[in-house]
This record gives sequence, structure tokens and C-alpha cells, in this order.
Amino acid sequence: MSKQLAFFIDQTVCTGCKGCQIACKDKNNLPVGMNYRKVYEVNGGGWQQVGGFWESNVFAYTLPVSCMHCQEPLCLEVCPTGATFKRDDGVVMVNEDVCIGCRYCEWACPYGARQFNEQTGVINKCNFCADLQAQGEPPACVAACPMRALDFGDLNELQARYGTTAAVYPLPSPSLTQPSIVIKAHPDARRATVETARIVNLEEV
Amino acid sequence: MRTEETALVLFTILGQMAVGSFVILGIVHWWAVGRYGTAKADKLADYALLAIGPVMILGMLASLLHLGNPVNAYRAVLHVGTSWLSREILLGSLFAALGALFALLQWFKIGSTILRGVLAVIAAGVGLAFVFAMARVYQLPTMPAWNTWTTTASFFVTTFLLGALAMMAAYVLSYLYLRNKDAEDVAGLRDMLGNVLRSLSVATLALLGIELVIVALGVVGLSRGPLEAIQSANLLATEFLSLFATRLILVLLGAGLFAFLLYRSARDLNRERAAFALVFAAFAFVLVGEAIGRYLFYVTSVKIGL
Repeated sequence: MSKQLAFFIDQTVCTGCKGCQIACKDKNNLPVGMNYRKVYEVNGGGWQQVGGFWESNVFAYTLPVSCMHCQEPLCLEVCPTGATFKRDDGVVMVNEDVCIGCRYCEWACPYGARQFNEQTGVINKCNFCADLQAQGEPPACVAACPMRALDFGDLNELQARYGTTAAVYPLPSPSLTQPSIVIKAHPDARRATVETARIVNLEEV
Repeated sequence: MRTEETALVLFTILGQMAVGSFVILGIVHWWAVGRYGTAKADKLADYALLAIGPVMILGMLASLLHLGNPVNAYRAVLHVGTSWLSREILLGSLFAALGALFALLQWFKIGSTILRGVLAVIAAGVGLAFVFAMARVYQLPTMPAWNTWTTTASFFVTTFLLGALAMMAAYVLSYLYLRNKDAEDVAGLRDMLGNVLRSLSVATLALLGIELVIVALGVVGLSRGPLEAIQSANLLATEFLSLFATRLILVLLGAGLFAFLLYRSARDLNRERAAFALVFAAFAFVLVGEAIGRYLFYVTSVKIGL
């Protein structure tokens, strides 16, 4: 299999500081309203009757999400212009000079990675900091994380090291687009479902 | 009221109306030629044909308003290999071009009747393929409310419903225009018009029945679908219930009551003013009703994931 660059997220140490989000915004000089990386805050649980008394089982965790540089990117399939393309290293990119700003990819992407730029009228997205990587540097988000919760590398190598978890709530089923992501899940992510948990910072993401 | 998809409401509704009009006009005209002869049938049909062009052009212009960078719009057809959006735009443009060519030949009576007939059938086929592609655009795995057969079915019902009503209105307008122009043949034209209105009002009633079944099955399908589909159904039943009801009432009045009254009053067209008022009212009601329906289609969609 050819190379596929992927992100690794260690949820067990992520504190939700949003350093990655800000480093990304700074590196890409993104205007208000646009983020290539967003940190989702998830809360869940409540009071539960156990026998004769009530017990609290509340939980909370955070999940940084960017473009998953999917192996079967739906955005690429639906893009009418061919502005979206996948490089040999697996990175999904948009050629802004070709994009017509139809925003069809926004409907197709189940990760909210596609960001419409109101100023230029075209779609932008995470390009895995290809320019930094070309100079041998890590992506801005990975470099900025104070907890070393973010890493990147070849998908196969990351999977060999950390396993194959590719979705925790609120991410969709990996079968949709085969995302290039490896997650070391938060212990509470196992019991987080649509019924038991919710995103609490929707205004922010 | 959320306005971000207004351009797409206009584009899909006008595009479907143009295709439906072209197909319905073709069928009606084919029938009229057999019964009244080419010369007479052409009289009413040629003006109606001219009305379709501006509708299609308006629709395509509206689609440009949807784009963030319309300067690049021509590039939208470059990814036909995998993108239904590319196919939609390609087929839409082809339909517009073939339809325009046919209208030109038909208006100036260039080429044989058979040649023009073949061209019309090809243009109609491309137009129907355009509507099919339009429906496929929305059948994304990430959009459960759209990713169902009812999208295709409802797009086609809208196509024929608006086509039938638009052509009734166009036939009435041509008749009113011709009546003052050449008085000698008014009785013949009126007979033809009465028959066209009666047939199309029956077609409209049938299409209304199909539409109601599709709407009902669509809501049932949503409520049995994945979580996001249920959320779409909930939006229809709560926040957008009054709009949803308005849409149904408009279509029921326009394609139901008015079409039924029209069927009865178009028998001999003695009270033609009443009949013509019914035609325009039915068209206006159903047009607004279908536009609201399309608005709801966009506004109640819920995406899987983030």
C-alpha cells in the first residue's frame, strides 16, 4: 500500500487547551469563523439510581478534529471541478484557483473539515502543513500541543503502534470515508453515545 | 427564514419546470397534431415553446448566484467521471442548447417535421436525464434525509406537475394573444385549448395523488431512518410544521381543487374567464407550494457527523 499520512490523537492526555486550534489558525492566517482544526468538548452522564442511593457518573473529554485525509474522500468524489485532489502521500488538498465555491464538499464531508472562505469565495481546508513538512518540520498543530497528544506519520505505522480506533463520539462511522486517523480513546469515550453524551461547545465549533 | 440556499431553490425549481414544460408540451403537441393538423397545433404550441427558454436561462443564472467564485463556473463540468454535480451541469447545459436549437428550427420551420421531432425527443431525453442527475446530486451518504429514492421521485413529480401547469398557462396566454390577432380560427383554437386544459387538469390531479403518496412515504422513511433522518422528520413536525402545512395546502388547492374545477369548466369554455383564472391560480399556487417544499428539503436536511 502506498503511503498515507495520518494524524494520531491521544485523548487520554488532551486537556482541551485548544493550542492546536490556535496554532493552526495562526499558521494559516485564518479569518474569524474559519478553523481547519477544532476542539470538540463532550459531556455526558448524570445521576443514576444504584440500589437505594443515587450515584453520579458524569464524564467529560475533548477531541481535536481536523481533515482526516480520508482514504475514500467523499469530498474528492463529489467535487465538480477537480479542484480537490489527493497527493501521493495521501494528503487531500484543494486547488483554490480551480475551486468555484459551490460548497458541495461541505455537504459531503462528515468531519466539518471543509471551510468556506467568505473573503475569497472558495473552499479551504487543512493541507497537513505540507509546506512545513517539506522542510522537515511537523504540522503546526502537532508542534504546538503542550501535552504531546497529537502526532502524525504513516497510517500503517501509527496503527501498528496505537491500534485501529478511528471513531469515538461524536465522529461518524469510519466506513463512510475511511478516515486516516488513529485515536487513543479517552476511557469514557466508550460509553459516550448519541443518547448519553453531547457536544457542549457547539457555538465555538 | 434561512436564505442561504435560495439560489438552489430557484435553480432546481426553474430547471425542473423547464424540463417538465418541454416534455408536456411535446406530448400535448404530438396529440394536437394528430387531431387538428400541424398548422393549427403549431399556432398555440410555438408561443408556449418560446416561454420555456427564459425559464431555463433564469434557472441557470440563479445557479451562478450559489457559487462563491462564479468566474470559474465553467469548470463545474470538469469532473463528470465521479461528480453528479458535474453531470447535472453538463446535462442541464446540453438540454438548454438542444432545446434552444429545437425552438429555433421549430419557430422558423427549418428542416423537416421528422428531423425536428427527433431533435425534440433527444432534447426531452437529455432534460429528463438532467432532472435525474439533479436528484442524484443530493443522494450523499452523509445526508440521510436526501439519500433516498423519494428525492428522485419527488423531483420528477415536481417536474411534470410544474410542467403541466406552466404549459396550461402558456396555452391560455397564446390563445388570448392569437384570439385578437386572427379572429377567423378562434372556434378551432378554443376547442383545442379546451381539450388541452381538460387533459392536463386530469394529469395534474393524478400527479397530485402521486406527490401526496411520495410525501407521506418520505416522512415515514425519515422517521424509520438513522438518527439524522429522524431529526429531519422532527424539524418538519415542529419548527417547520406551519411551512410544511402551507406547502401541502397550496398544492392541494392548486393541483387538487382548482384542477378539478378547471376540468369541469373547460368542457365548453363558455365561461372562459373563470377557467383561465383557475389556470393561473393553480399554476401560481403550485409554483409557490413546490418552492416552499424545496426550501424545506434544504432547510430540514441534517448531516451525519460534524
